[in-house]
Formats: sequence, C-alpha cells, structure tokens
Amino acid sequence: MGGEGFGPRIVFYLPGGIPVTETVTVTWFIMLVLAVFSYFATRNFDKVPKKFQNFVEVLVESIYNLTKQTMGEDKLGFAPYMGTLLIFLAIANIAGLFGLRPPTADANTTLGLATITFVMIHFFGMKSKGVGGYLKGFLEPFPALLPLNIIGELATPVSLGFRLFGNIVGGMIIMSLLYGALGSLSNAIGINIPVFMTAIPAPLHIYFDLFAGILQSFIFTMLTMVFVAMAMD
Amino acid sequence: MLKAGLVELSWTFFFQIINTFILFLILKNLLFKPVTEFMSNRQKGIEESLNEAQKKNQEAENLKEEYLTKLSGAEEEGRQIVKDAAKRAEERANEILKAAEKEAEQIKERASLDIERERKKAINSLKDEIASISMMAASKLIEKDLDESGHKTLVKKFIDEVGETRWQN
Repeated sequence: MGGEGFGPRIVFYLPGGIPVTETVTVTWFIMLVLAVFSYFATRNFDKVPKKFQNFVEVLVESIYNLTKQTMGEDKLGFAPYMGTLLIFLAIANIAGLFGLRPPTADANTTLGLATITFVMIHFFGMKSKGVGGYLKGFLEPFPALLPLNIIGELATPVSLGFRLFGNIVGGMIIMSLLYGALGSLSNAIGINIPVFMTAIPAPLHIYFDLFAGILQSFIFTMLTMVFVAMAMD
Repeated sequence: MLKAGLVELSWTFFFQIINTFILFLILKNLLFKPVTEFMSNRQKGIEESLNEAQKKNQEAENLKEEYLTKLSGAEEEGRQIVKDAAKRAEERANEILKAAEKEAEQIKERASLDIERERKKAINSLKDEIASISMMAASKLIEKDLDESGHKTLVKKFIDEVGETRWQN
C-alpha cells in the first residue's frame, strides 16, 4: 500500500526499516504537551486555589467522579487510566483544529487503545471473578451460546476501535474534500486566492472536530469503563 | 511524501500502545496522583482545623460555665457570711440582754434582802432599846435594886410576848 490517499504520512524510518508515521509523531507531540502541562499544573499548588489550579482540580475531580459513578467506588483505581484515555482522545480528536493529523484517524491508534481495553476487560475480569468464574461467564445464559459469547467478546474491541476511527477519519476526509472543493471553486471563478476556504469550513470544523471529537472520546472512555466494570462485577 | 494506507495495521499499532502506556504513567504521576493527594491532604487539613476550632470553642464554653458557677458560688457565699454575721450579732444581743436582765434581777433580789436584814436589825435594836428603857422605868418605879440581868430577861420575855404581835402588825 502507500502512495496517495488519506493515510498518515511516513515521517521517517527507524533503523531496520520500521516506518514512523505522522500518527506517532503527533502522539509524541501531544504527550509532550500533556507532560509539560501536568508538570506546570501541579507546581506551586497553593492551599487556596487560584484560577488555573481550580481548573486542574475540577478536571481531575470530575474524572474521578465520573469513574466513581460509572464503575463504582471500589474501582476508583481505574480513574488515572480513564482520565488519561479521556484527555488524550479529546486532544487527539481536536488536533485537526490545529492543522495536525488526528492520531485517532489511524486505525492503529484506535485499535491499539481498543486492544488495551480488551486486555483490561479480560485481565480484571479474571482477577475479580477467578479464572473459573470468568470462564463460566462464557457459558451463560446456557452453554450453547459459547461461540456467540466468544464472538461477542472479540467484537467489542473491533467495534470500539472502528467506531472512533470511522468518526474521526470520516470527519477528516469530509473536511479535506470540502477544502479541495472550495479551492477548486475559487479557481473556477478565477480568483487565485482561495477565499472560500475562510469562514465556510468553520461550522463543519466545530461539528466534526470539536463536537464529534469530544463526543467520541467520551464514548470510548465511557464504554471502556462500563465494559471493565461489567467484567468485574 | 510517502503515505501509509488509511486502514493498514503496522508498527504504529505497537507504537501507539507503548505511547499510551507512557502517557498513562506521565499523567498518573505528574497529574492525577499529586492533585488527588493534594486535595485529600487539604480536605484533611480543613477537617482538622475545623475539629480544632470546635474543640477550642468547647473548651471556652466549659471555662465560661465554670467561672459562672464559681461566681454565683461566691455570691452565695457572701450572702451566707452576711446572714451568719447578722444571726450571730442578734444572738449576742439577746445574750447581753438576758445577762443584763439577770443581773438586774440579782441586784433587785440582793437589795430586797438587804432591806429585810436592815429592817430586822432595826426592829431588834428597837426591841433592845425598849427593853432597857422599860427596865429603867421599872427600876425607877419600884425603886428596888433588881438584878439587872435577871430582870432584863424577864422584861425581854414580856416584850417579846406582848410586842411580837404589835410590831408585827
């Protein structure tokens, strides 16, 4: 594969011919930004919170509250991972606003995250119910449903990953098609400067990048929480 | 520029899983842990200072009550002292009065005894006087030497017999 299309650009090759794509570099950038943000957010913490500290506290507290409400008090230990997922996905999904290719517009990212969720579901399910109790869950409501249960379990990460990927990549494709169309329109009228590229795409950016992006990151995180909690209870 | 396929599983898959883990560790240790620790510490601090304040208030309340009790006790004590003093004074006055009355009674009694004695003495001396006078008169009358002492008793007897009723009346 390769060449033209909507796939991520290959930025460079690691020794051994391993390609490093835009997805990975943008992710690194996001990681760097979040690390710097976290570092400075928690420095100079005061007993009486000021504006920025308030924002950080509310962010962390609402993630903990969301985890508590969705998964239950006893699974509050998952909050840091769920928070990481939510913050990373939210920023990754709106990266398109900053002219970056969203890392979530790459099936490798979304399926990677879905794989982590899948592993978590089964690892914590086994840990919580015991291997026997966990395996017995596949025979319910009656043993004949075993193949269906297995397919269902395997479908979870696929649907999880592709839902996010499809939403983001769909928005990205529509936006780039729109930009192409608007550019051609400008040229067709005979204006060298693509004037139609201003203002017109803004509402669509708001919908595809902001609205769908935040919504999808929320959905992915919520589903992860629900699946893991369900597997444990 | 070379592009990877749109839906193409590649090394990126593993990169992204590792990236997610790294990001998780970064956020957990730099953001979630410090913030939640800080917030729970602050909550604990606030709770502690509230408890402390409550304790202090309670202490002050107790002290106030204690002082009030002491104060009213002192007032009561003062009143008791005054009452005791008044009672003692009254008692003392009564005692003095009674003693004075008794003394007056004694004086009166002694005086009446004295009077009685004086009267008796006067009567006796009068009796003696009369006896000697009557004896003198009698000796003059009979012109006869009489044994004075023998006659004296005679006359005295007479006077006693006659005069007792008379003097008594």
